[in-house]
Amino acid sequence: MTSAPPRQNLGSRARSLLRSALDEYADSPQAAGWLRHHLDRFDEPLRLAIAGKVKAGKSTLLNALVGEEIAATDAGECTRVVTWYSDGPSPRIVLHPREGEPRQLRTRRGEHGGLVVDLDGTPPETVDRLTVDWPSSGLRTTALIDTPGIASLTADAAGRAGEFLTPDEAPGQADAVLYLMRHLHAADARFLESFHDRHVARATPVNTVAVLSRADEIGVGRLDALLSARRIAERYRTDEKLSTLCQTVVAVAGLLALTGRTLRQDEYLALRGLAAVDRSVTEGLLLSADRFVTPPPSLSAALPDSVGAEVRAALLARLGVFGVRTSLSLLRQDPSTDAAALAAALVARSGLDELRTVLDTQFTERRDLLKARSALLAVELVVRREPRAGSRALAGEIEKVFAGAHEFAELRLLSALRSRTVTLSPEAREEAERLVGGAGSRTAVRLGLDPEADAGACRVAAVEALGRWRKRASSPLSDRATADACGVVVRSCEGMLVSLTSP
Amino acid sequence: MADTSKALALIDLALQATEAYGRPDLSGRLRATRARIADPDVRVLVVGEFKQGKSALVNALVNADVCPVDDDISTAVTTVVKYTSGQPAVTVVRETAAAGDGESREERTDVPLEDVQRYVSEAGNPGNRENVSYVEVRLPRRVLSTGLVVVDTPGVGGLGSAHGQMTMGALPTADAVLLVSDAAQEYTAPELRFLTQAMSLCPNVACVLTKTDLYPEWRRIAELDRGHLTKAGVAAELLPTSSVLRQVAARTNDAALNEEAGFKALVGYLRDRVSRQAEVLDRRSASQDVLSVVEQMAQKMRTELEAQQDPGQAEALIARLKDAQERAESLKKRSARWQLTLNDGFGDLQSDIEYDLRDRMRSIQKEAEERVDEVDPLDVWDQFADWVHSAVAGAASTNFVWASQRARHLAGQVADHFVAGGQQALPAIERLGPRGLGGQVNPMIRPDMERYRLGQKLFTGIRGGYGGMLMAGMATSLAGLAMINPISGGVALLLGAKGVKEEKTRLLAKRRADAKSSVRKHIDDVSFQVGKDSRDMLRMVQRTLRDHFQDLAQELTTSMSESVKSAQEAVRTVTTDREKRVKDLQAELERLAAVEKQAHDLVAADPKR
Repeated sequence: MTSAPPRQNLGSRARSLLRSALDEYADSPQAAGWLRHHLDRFDEPLRLAIAGKVKAGKSTLLNALVGEEIAATDAGECTRVVTWYSDGPSPRIVLHPREGEPRQLRTRRGEHGGLVVDLDGTPPETVDRLTVDWPSSGLRTTALIDTPGIASLTADAAGRAGEFLTPDEAPGQADAVLYLMRHLHAADARFLESFHDRHVARATPVNTVAVLSRADEIGVGRLDALLSARRIAERYRTDEKLSTLCQTVVAVAGLLALTGRTLRQDEYLALRGLAAVDRSVTEGLLLSADRFVTPPPSLSAALPDSVGAEVRAALLARLGVFGVRTSLSLLRQDPSTDAAALAAALVARSGLDELRTVLDTQFTERRDLLKARSALLAVELVVRREPRAGSRALAGEIEKVFAGAHEFAELRLLSALRSRTVTLSPEAREEAERLVGGAGSRTAVRLGLDPEADAGACRVAAVEALGRWRKRASSPLSDRATADACGVVVRSCEGMLVSLTSP
Repeated sequence: MADTSKALALIDLALQATEAYGRPDLSGRLRATRARIADPDVRVLVVGEFKQGKSALVNALVNADVCPVDDDISTAVTTVVKYTSGQPAVTVVRETAAAGDGESREERTDVPLEDVQRYVSEAGNPGNRENVSYVEVRLPRRVLSTGLVVVDTPGVGGLGSAHGQMTMGALPTADAVLLVSDAAQEYTAPELRFLTQAMSLCPNVACVLTKTDLYPEWRRIAELDRGHLTKAGVAAELLPTSSVLRQVAARTNDAALNEEAGFKALVGYLRDRVSRQAEVLDRRSASQDVLSVVEQMAQKMRTELEAQQDPGQAEALIARLKDAQERAESLKKRSARWQLTLNDGFGDLQSDIEYDLRDRMRSIQKEAEERVDEVDPLDVWDQFADWVHSAVAGAASTNFVWASQRARHLAGQVADHFVAGGQQALPAIERLGPRGLGGQVNPMIRPDMERYRLGQKLFTGIRGGYGGMLMAGMATSLAGLAMINPISGGVALLLGAKGVKEEKTRLLAKRRADAKSSVRKHIDDVSFQVGKDSRDMLRMVQRTLRDHFQDLAQELTTSMSESVKSAQEAVRTVTTDREKRVKDLQAELERLAAVEKQAHDLVAADPKR
């Protein structure tokens, strides 16, 4: 895959900076440990934290992304401890207390398949984090971090989430953040804000994607609920305040996505059985969750014996009112739909695919950039905390990488464009955002072409864009800030052309 | 309803008596009470975080689509839904603060029913550009006929925001508060905080759990919420409801569905707890007013009767009465104890309130300056401005709430002193007891609160008058700072990497100084306005109390002089007429006693305070 501009450069620069910092601080155990940790981290999978207010559906979405029910979910507040999920050869849970040695916990699966975490009587506030190894392909390229909700009633749980995601001065433990919200709320904006470190080069929404979660509940579970949710997400995307805080906003119905990915044959058959019943009966049933499980006699008489109250209750827990409604409508529209097709349709409707595409373009493709960023911030912290003879040179080096690497220039421009501090016409701004990688860093995407477009088409488009932006940059009417911004775009275009012509 | 009409009939009876016995001076108070009872508004505030189904709840309650409901767009303007026996109607109310006297003026425009959306929703009226204070919807609905007034508040910004603090200021004027929260999750910290604060400001607080149709686990959530309420010490009822089911039930006339919707409990709560409590208050004040009036009229007859029955003792009686008259007279003087309590009390109160406000504002300013020093205002201005704005609004409303609470307490004290002062002089009014007079103070103050500008403004929304002041103040300081953004951003791009550093430090210092001065200016503006409003409010309460007790003292004096007059006349009466007169007087007194008994009966069934 062609990508532009060449990036291995930045990664190796950051790596060598880490190594020379390590040499410099070899005698300070704390600093060396910290730096070594970050050097190791460089080769680990990208760390994606899932954050949000209480009951935003963080664990459910995590399960949906993995495709398995590993994180326990509940109607009440559930996740109390920061939990890291990564791929491993066999299931294993390790508890890292705030003080003392980590120890392994028993692994046990609950009745719903979720992992039952038993802290063995350890009070949650003394636990720093849990690490869970789980053999799953869904975790191979990305490690997921589940966090307790913000604005949670258990004040301590909320405190830990804030602390974890917004540690003072230090670069975050996570490389990127998926921020879940049910509706944009003042607390959400404040949190998103505090997640960004404040330094000039680094104040950027580059590592955050917002998710409008529990999207199926937005239209009180009506069939068009997800259309409404997408419309709302679209509005948030163009919201000036939010666009300075995160890359983009996606609407996802987590429960629907999870069940779609793990739909069982018996559930499918139960849904089939319900779909065969007269529409007026199921509509009466679906008036409320209570009625669906314990309907009045007039309705229950019309139901097949195979779909008993327990089966219905289970269906509801797995799909929600909206999920059942959608499944029945899908099965009725096309009676030949089999289990696999139904599952696929549910996933497609849930918005999960869209989220994965966004994660791919925003995070996975930028992996090196995000990793390098975390590493540079780590070195900078050490230099600031323990200044010594060699640290000036290191600080200069960091400054040079941040100021010199075109990737960071692109990031800065991106955040300047989003916070409207550069004056460009709306169309030009949109194009500039795309060209510097706002929608994804693949060349074709940057040029606004079909992602599968061939090199020839890309080259033509890149040349055109280059001409257009050169003209803008040299226009005597542009003020200095705009001209500089245009200059960055021009460099991005040039970089793309170079990578397109070189093998 | 039946009880209200009984109370009204009783007052009418007492009014007739004042005419018949030539005491028109006593009828003023009765008329005022009658007017208050005849207008039985019971205001219920519907509050909650946004998108919890507040508007849907109001719609389902009155079974009409009055408040626009949308998946995305929220309510922007307060909607007041009340009863009419005629056709449904909508009135848009804009309030403007008139220059000079500080009184506000209302401009009311009737609009077609289907236009509500245009004024109420965030889509039709973004940022309330129509400058509407509130929208009043009148509907012919049975549930509203007891005088229920349902107020749907905008959810914009959430409970912790400046807007939420405004809602807080409106609480003391409401008869009940419904906190709306959906069954998607248990209570969050801001919601519980709101509930505990609301409990101390409003007599009735209930929690409504909405959307039970959508969430299979709503019983768990309800249980968890009840646990949180108990733990926080909030004794509020939790009422699970489903607005969707209620509307389907109304459409299909399905009784079982209506049962499941849970509105029976909600309507029952509003009727049995909220409306009934208001009725109890009404009855109590009706009964007390009538008792006091009847007593004063009976006083005169009793003395005449005494004099008629025993003319030999008449002189001594007259002397005693004259003494009492003098004492009643002295209650009117400036040096009376209740007058002193009133004047000194309000003087102290005013300076306390001013000090409290200044103290609160100063600590906000200090904290704001500390915060500004820690960050670059450029990065966080929006959040920072929000924070300052809500902290200042919060301090202002807390200060106001405190002022009104203390004013109420002081009114009670004045009443006690008045009665105590009267007691020595006028054994007759002892029969009413301090409870009688003290009791009048409470209901008298409460509805009047709504007239005070601050409460009204806080209630009607953030535009116009007081609220507008806060917003406008912040808007200008915001505008001032927004200017910095493009310039400093441009400078950073303009200069090379090296020179940027010193320039950056200089600009940062300037930005901090600018931010601090705009905070100071904002706090100054708000303190000025709130200080004035508080003073106006206190002065108004003081004036109302003074007039009330002054009138009372006047009534007592008149009663006493009438008594003296009738006793003197009794002495002059010819012996032959005496027997007839005694009989007449006894009959009259019996009639008055019957009215008195009715007044006692009216409140007999009510719980004692």
